[in-house]
Amino acid sequence: MTFNELSWEALAFGAFTILTLGGALGVVFNRNLVRGAVWLVVSLFGVAGFFVLLSAPFLAAVQVLVYIGAIGILFTFAVMLTRSMTNLSERFNKQAWLSALAAVTLFLLILLAVIAPIFGEIAAPSSEVVATTEDLGVALVSGDKFVLPFEVASLLLTAAMIGAIVIAREED
Amino acid sequence: MGCDNIINTFAPCLSSSLGVPIEIANFIGIFLGVIIVASFPLLVAIALIWTERKFAARIQDRLGPNRVGVFGLLQPFADVIKLLGKEDITPAGADRPIYNAAPVVSVVSVLLIWAVIPFTPIHVGVDLSIGALYFLAVASLGTLAIILAAWASNNKYALLGAFRVVAQLISYEVPLALALLVPVMIAGSMSLVSIVEAQAGMWFVVSAPIAAFLFFISAQAETGRAPFDLLEAESELVAGYNIEYSGMKFAMFFAGEFMHVFTNAVLMAVLFMGGYLGPFVDQIPMLGLVYLLIKASFWYLLSLLMRNALPRIRIDQLMLFNWLFLVPLSVVNLLVTALLLMIVREVGLAPDDPRSFVDNIPQTIVLFLGNAALFVVVMSMVRNRFRAQRLAETQTDDLLPATAGD
Amino acid sequence: MIDVPSIADLNLTVTFPAVFLALFTMVVLIVDLFIPKDRKIRTAHLTLGGLVVAFVWNVLVFDSNQTALGGMYIADSFSGFINFIALTAAIITCFLSVDYLKRTGIEQGEFYSLLLFSTAGVMFMGAASDLIVVFIALEILSIPLYVMAAMRYRDAKSEESGLKYFILGAFASAFFLYGAALVYGATGTTSLPEIFASVEGIVATDSGARLYLVLGAALIFVGLGFKVAVVPFHMWTPDVYEGAPTPVTAFMSVAAKAGGFAALLRLMVIALPELTANIGDTIAIWQTTIAIVAAATMILGNFVAIVQTNVKRMLAYSSIAHAGYILMGVAAVGTIGVAEEATRAALIYMLAYTFTNLGAFAVVMALEKDDGSGTQIADFKGLSRSRPLLAVMMAFFMLSLTGVPTTAGFIGKFLLFGAALEAGLVLLTIIGVLTSVVSAYYYVRIIVNMYLEDGEGDPAEGATQYLNYATYAAFAGTLIIGLFPFLAVNLLDTMMIAGLF
Repeated sequence: MTFNELSWEALAFGAFTILTLGGALGVVFNRNLVRGAVWLVVSLFGVAGFFVLLSAPFLAAVQVLVYIGAIGILFTFAVMLTRSMTNLSERFNKQAWLSALAAVTLFLLILLAVIAPIFGEIAAPSSEVVATTEDLGVALVSGDKFVLPFEVASLLLTAAMIGAIVIAREED
Repeated sequence: MGCDNIINTFAPCLSSSLGVPIEIANFIGIFLGVIIVASFPLLVAIALIWTERKFAARIQDRLGPNRVGVFGLLQPFADVIKLLGKEDITPAGADRPIYNAAPVVSVVSVLLIWAVIPFTPIHVGVDLSIGALYFLAVASLGTLAIILAAWASNNKYALLGAFRVVAQLISYEVPLALALLVPVMIAGSMSLVSIVEAQAGMWFVVSAPIAAFLFFISAQAETGRAPFDLLEAESELVAGYNIEYSGMKFAMFFAGEFMHVFTNAVLMAVLFMGGYLGPFVDQIPMLGLVYLLIKASFWYLLSLLMRNALPRIRIDQLMLFNWLFLVPLSVVNLLVTALLLMIVREVGLAPDDPRSFVDNIPQTIVLFLGNAALFVVVMSMVRNRFRAQRLAETQTDDLLPATAGD
Repeated sequence: MIDVPSIADLNLTVTFPAVFLALFTMVVLIVDLFIPKDRKIRTAHLTLGGLVVAFVWNVLVFDSNQTALGGMYIADSFSGFINFIALTAAIITCFLSVDYLKRTGIEQGEFYSLLLFSTAGVMFMGAASDLIVVFIALEILSIPLYVMAAMRYRDAKSEESGLKYFILGAFASAFFLYGAALVYGATGTTSLPEIFASVEGIVATDSGARLYLVLGAALIFVGLGFKVAVVPFHMWTPDVYEGAPTPVTAFMSVAAKAGGFAALLRLMVIALPELTANIGDTIAIWQTTIAIVAAATMILGNFVAIVQTNVKRMLAYSSIAHAGYILMGVAAVGTIGVAEEATRAALIYMLAYTFTNLGAFAVVMALEKDDGSGTQIADFKGLSRSRPLLAVMMAFFMLSLTGVPTTAGFIGKFLLFGAALEAGLVLLTIIGVLTSVVSAYYYVRIIVNMYLEDGEGDPAEGATQYLNYATYAAFAGTLIIGLFPFLAVNLLDTMMIAGLF
C-alpha cells in the first residue's frame, strides 16, 4: 500500500517536474515571445502541481489564479501589443559571455548547495502538521503571526498601484 | 460489501469479484469517474443547443429547429455531424501549435470546473477545501485560451476581439470574485459541498440577493454573451477571436461557450439556491441531481432571456458599468455583509442549528434588510446621478441652437 | 475557536511612528483628491504635519526596547535612530520639493504620498526583525522611488532613470529573496533572533546547512548591496541620480541608503554574527568579503568622482564612496565585541551624511534651471559673490563630505575609523583615510569654483523660501553634529545600547 501510494506520488512528482523544467527550458530557448509566455504558463502550472503534492491546495489555486490567470495573460497581452517584439532576431550582445559565466557560476553554486545536503543527513521535515486554508487565514491576520507583513504588503500594493497610475495617466 | 451502489462501491466490487488489485481498481474507479464527470457537461451541451435555439426562436417569433427528429430534438446531432465534415482550415501565418491548442484549453477550462461541483450529497468529483478559489483559478484559463486563439490566428479582427476580451473578462472577474466571497463568508467555508450544506436552513439567494445578482451579471459577462458579447460583436469584428476557426475547432469554442453558460447556471444554483438540496434527498441521493438541474435550468433560462432580450452595450459603457457600478457595489456589499455577520454572531442571533429553517430566520432577516438598505441607497445614488446628467444635457441642449435633422 | 491575541498583547504603541505614517499616507492620498490643482502646497503642509507627528512620537518611544506584533517589529533605539534619520530626510525633502515640483511642472499630489510610502518603508526596514518584513519593507521603500525617479516623464533622462532603477531594483529584490529563501532553508525560520539561535548549531555541526547559510547571506548582501550602491553593484547610481528630479535624488541618496544599511546591520548584528569559519573564531566568515567590497567601493567612488563635470553625477559617485565608508562599519561589526561600537559609528555616520548630503543637494537645486540644466560644476562659478550665504553653506557641506574637523562628516569618519581599527581592519582603515584625502580634490574644486572664479549674473534663481528653509535645516544639523558630537552620540547612547544586545 505505502509503496504504491509512494509510487503514484513519485509519478506525479516526475510529471510536474517535467512540466516545470520543460516549460522553463521552453521559455529560455524560444525566440517567439508569445510562445515563451505559453511555456511560462506551462512551467507555472507545474509549480502549482508541486503545491498540490505538498498538501497546499490553497497555494496551488492561488498559483494558477495569479500566475496563469493574471500574470500569464498580462505577459501575452503586453507582447501582443508590441508585435514587432514577438520575433527577436538579435540573440546575443557583446557581454553575453560575461552573463553566461555569471549565470553558470551561480547555477553551479546553487546546484552544489542543493545537492550537498542530500549526501549528508537528510533533515526531517520541520513539522508533520498540514496547515489548512483556515490556519493560513488566521496566521495572516493574527497579531502574533504575520499581520505586520500582511498589512505592509497591502500598503505596498497600494503604493505600486498609485505609482502605476501616476506614471500612466495623461496630463490633465 | 454489497455491490448495490455502483459509484461508491465500484472499486471494492471490482477488487472482490474480479480479483483486480485494489490500487488498480481504485485507479480505474477514479478514471471512470473523471470520464463521467467530464462527459456530463458535454452531453448536456447538446441538449442546451436545442434549448437555446428553440428559446431564441420563440422570442423572435420563429419556429426554430423542427425538421430533424421530434420537435427538432435531433438537430444538434446533425449540427455536430455537419461541423465534423467541414474543412479544417489553418490560416497562413498561424502559430500552428498554439492555434490548435487554444480550443482545447477553452473547453478544458470549463470542464475542470465540474470537478468540484456537488451533484448529489454523495456524488461529487472532489470536495476541495478551496473549491470556490479553484473555480476562479480554472475559469481564468478560459481568458488565456481566447487570447492565444486570437493571437495564433494571425488576423487583425481576431486580435481586436482579444483586446476587448482581456479588458472585459479581467474587469468582470473582480466583481465575480467579490460576489463569490459572500456565500463563502456566510457558509464559513470555500468548499462547495459545505456551502451547499450551509443552505440547508435558508438559501443564500434570500440572505444575499445582491451578491447573487452581482455573480449572475458578472458570470454572464465572463461567458461573453449578449449583452456583453463585445468580444465577438458580429457587426464590428466580423466574429471576434474565433474568426479563423472552422470545423470541429470552431465547434469546440462553441461548445465551450454553451457549457460555460450552463456551468455558471449550475454554480448559481450551488452557491445561492442550495444546490442539490430538496425534499427526500437524504433518502434518495439521486434526487439531488434532479433538483440541481431544475435550479440550474431556472438560471440558464434567465440567462437566455437576457441574451435575447437585451441589446449589446458599447465598450465604454461596459467598462463604466463594471468599474463605476459593479465593483464599488461588490466591495460595499462584501463589507456590509461581513459587518452584519459579525454583528449577528456577537449579538447571538446566529443559528444554533444551521440546518434548521426556524433558527436561520433572524440571521436571514438581518442580512436581507442589510441588502435591501444597500439596494435602496445605491439605487437612489444612481437615480440622482442620472437625473443630474439628464438635467445637464437638457440645459446644454437649450443653449445650443437646434440643428436640422436632429 | 480562533485564538487571537488581544490588542494590548500586540504592543502597538511602540510601533506608532511607522504605523501612523503608513496610515497617514492614506489620509494624504484621500485629502489630496479634494485639493485643487493650483494649491497642492496644502498637501505638502499636510504631509509635513504627519511627518512631524511621527517624529515627535518617535522621540517619545525612542528607547522602549520592546518587540511588537509577535516579535516581527523591534522598537529599540536602533530602529528609533533609523526612524530619526528617515523622518529627518523626509521632512527636509518635503521642504525641498514644494517649489521645485511647481517650477519644473511636475507637481502632483501623489508625490507626497509616495514620499510617505517610501519613508514608512525605511522605518519598517529599520524595525524589522523578520526576513519577510525586511523584504516587504525593502519593496515598499523602493517602488515609490522608482515612480518618483520617473516623475519628470517629459524628460527622457528621467524616464531612463526610473526604468533603470526599476529593472535593477527588481533584480536586486530577486537576489535578496533568493538569499532569504536559502537562509530559511538552512535555519527553518525567518525570524532574525531565531536564525541567530540556530546559526551556532549549524556552525558546530558543520552540516550542509552551512553552505546554504553562507550562500544565502551572500545573496542577501548582493540584494542589499544594490540598494545601497556598493561596488560592483553601483552601475545604476550615476544615471539614476542624474536623471531623477533632484529632490528625489536627495531623498534616494540618504533614505534608501539608510534603509538598506539598517537591514544589513540588523541582519549581520542580530542574525549572523556567529557565522564563523570555525567554532571559537572571533571573526565572522563574511567580514573579509565585506571589507574587500568596502575598499573597492571607497576607491572607485572617490576616483571616478574626480572626473565628473555634472554635480549630480559627482554627488552620485560621492554617495557610492560614502556607502563604502558605512560598509566599513558593517565589516567591523563582524569582529566579535566590536559590534556595538561599529553599529553606533555607522548610524552616526549615516545621520551626518543625511544632513550634509541633503544640504548639498539643496544648494544644487537652488542653481538648477527649470528644465533640469544648470547642474554642471562650472555653474557654481561666482556663487560667493551673488549668493554669499549659499556659498558658505555649500562650502561647509563640501568640507563635511570630505571629513574636515568641526563638521559632522569628521565625527562620523572619526568614529568609523576608530571602530574599524578596533576590529583589526587596519588596511581597510588606511584605504579609508587615503581615499578621504583623494575626495578632498573634487569637493574642494566646487569651493574653488565658488570663491576663486568669476561667474555672470545671479545663478541661484531657484533659491526660494522653502528651499532655503531646507538648506538652513541641513546646515544646522551638520553644524550641530560637528560642533557638539556628544549630542548625537548621547542621543544614540541613551537609547540604544541595551536595545540591540
